[in-house]
Amino acid sequence: MASRYDRAITVFSPDGHLFQVEYAQEAVKKGSTAVGIRGTNIVVLGVEKKSVAKLQDERTVRKICALDDHVCMAFAVLTIFVGLTADARVVINRARVECQSHKLTVEDPVTVEYITRFIATLKQKYTQSNGRRPFGISALIVGFDDDGIPRLYQTDPSGTYHAWKANAIGRSAKTVREFLEKNYTEDAIASDSEAIKLAIKALLEVVQSGGKNIELAIIRRNQPLKMFSAKEVELYVTEIEKEKEEAEKKKSKKSV
Amino acid sequence: MAATFFGEVVKAPCRAGTEDDEEEEEEEEEEGRRETPEDREVRQQLARKREVRLLRRQTKTSLEVSLLEKYPCSKFIIAIGNNAVAFLSSFVMNSGVWEEVGCAKLWNEWCRTTDTTHLSSSEAFCVFYHLKSNPSVFGSCPRKNMQITILTCRHVTDYKTSESTGSLPSPFLKALKTQNFKDSACCPLLEQPNIVHDLPAAVLSYCQVWKIPAVLYLCYTDVMKLDLITVEAFKPILSTRTLKGLVKNIPQSTEILKKLMTTNEIQSNIYT
Repeated sequence: MASRYDRAITVFSPDGHLFQVEYAQEAVKKGSTAVGIRGTNIVVLGVEKKSVAKLQDERTVRKICALDDHVCMAFAVLTIFVGLTADARVVINRARVECQSHKLTVEDPVTVEYITRFIATLKQKYTQSNGRRPFGISALIVGFDDDGIPRLYQTDPSGTYHAWKANAIGRSAKTVREFLEKNYTEDAIASDSEAIKLAIKALLEVVQSGGKNIELAIIRRNQPLKMFSAKEVELYVTEIEKEKEEAEKKKSKKSV
Repeated sequence: MAATFFGEVVKAPCRAGTEDDEEEEEEEEEEGRRETPEDREVRQQLARKREVRLLRRQTKTSLEVSLLEKYPCSKFIIAIGNNAVAFLSSFVMNSGVWEEVGCAKLWNEWCRTTDTTHLSSSEAFCVFYHLKSNPSVFGSCPRKNMQITILTCRHVTDYKTSESTGSLPSPFLKALKTQNFKDSACCPLLEQPNIVHDLPAAVLSYCQVWKIPAVLYLCYTDVMKLDLITVEAFKPILSTRTLKGLVKNIPQSTEILKKLMTTNEIQSNIYT
């Protein structure tokens, strides 16, 4: 049945599926895992960095991108796209143009929700157009609005968007999401460093090679964006491992 | 096949002639192409190239069937697909010393190498190992008291179910066993209408026909390339009777698995 209704985007199957959109969601699963966490005063974006080929320039392989910054030079909206790289580039460009156009017309910077809605509407248009395929990307968009409240949104190839407290997209996203569901507690996000550790712990569930393959970025309220260097990530990873060992020692003491 | 304006794919009628014209076509073919002696020779050459050869260890000497009979077999474990092989090599084969006994090499038109006589050992399609300390774990000839375990992977989109694939707990394990396999499988059985394909299906059918107890463990995953989580989905099998005695060092296995991952990373710039 699927083989007759999955060649063009404009066709529903008899049981209501849009197969091209569902296949686009499979394309997202081929990208590396990304996780976003909304803390009380901080938003964290972490992604698995794929090892770069020997002759490739590492600077051109950036996954976490800023969509806009505020007048006071604090980056307001950060995003990460997972899926087809070229599709991501196209959508990021359009979103950046929209951020500036909004600033010109309305004289106010975009809210995180506005730009998420713009990206989602753009993606939906491509699911209803003749001869065009949907974008094969999902996005995690984080930032602070003028009211100082942190926000995390997720969009997918069908053009839907939702606000989340914590979410993961890409390869093995389900495993990471289950980990977050178990471990996202009020204590876990009480302080900024705890939120960062939660993001790293969630990624370590699925990242094959440990801390050196994790790229992390945070925004604190009223502060500019901070991209973590590999050393800083390693520091957090060693801290997490120490905590794990101590927890295990306590467990074995209790059982003895 | 043609696509209509609305995107539906329909079988376009063939203007060159309908299927009822088969008889006429056959007659024409006979007049035009009679099999020449050259054709026959090419066909024979192809058949020789496509023969499956069993070779002894890393050499070119062939592994005679009589030699195989020397190794009585009680348990035969076969892993198909890179995740299943990674599971077997890191969890089972690192405990105890496994000795490579032979390999099977074959060629057909889809292979990328054109030279069939000098296939290197890295291009062997199947390598046979046996446990040095317990040589009964190996074999290729069916024996009465032998038990066969097959491990393989399949993409989760092949799994037919009324639930949507997004809600499936992938990766997950399903089992299929022959009538003579009396033990219980360590995971739920594969439900209808799902079917098994290719080599695992062939092995299982052979076992069912020859009344050999065999079980197939099929891992449905959404990552077909070498992936830690998929390989770990095979872990429940370690508690079955077949593999219990063979696996000793589990923490070390995870280390070996991680090493395998890093050496096997394929670069792709299409997906971010």
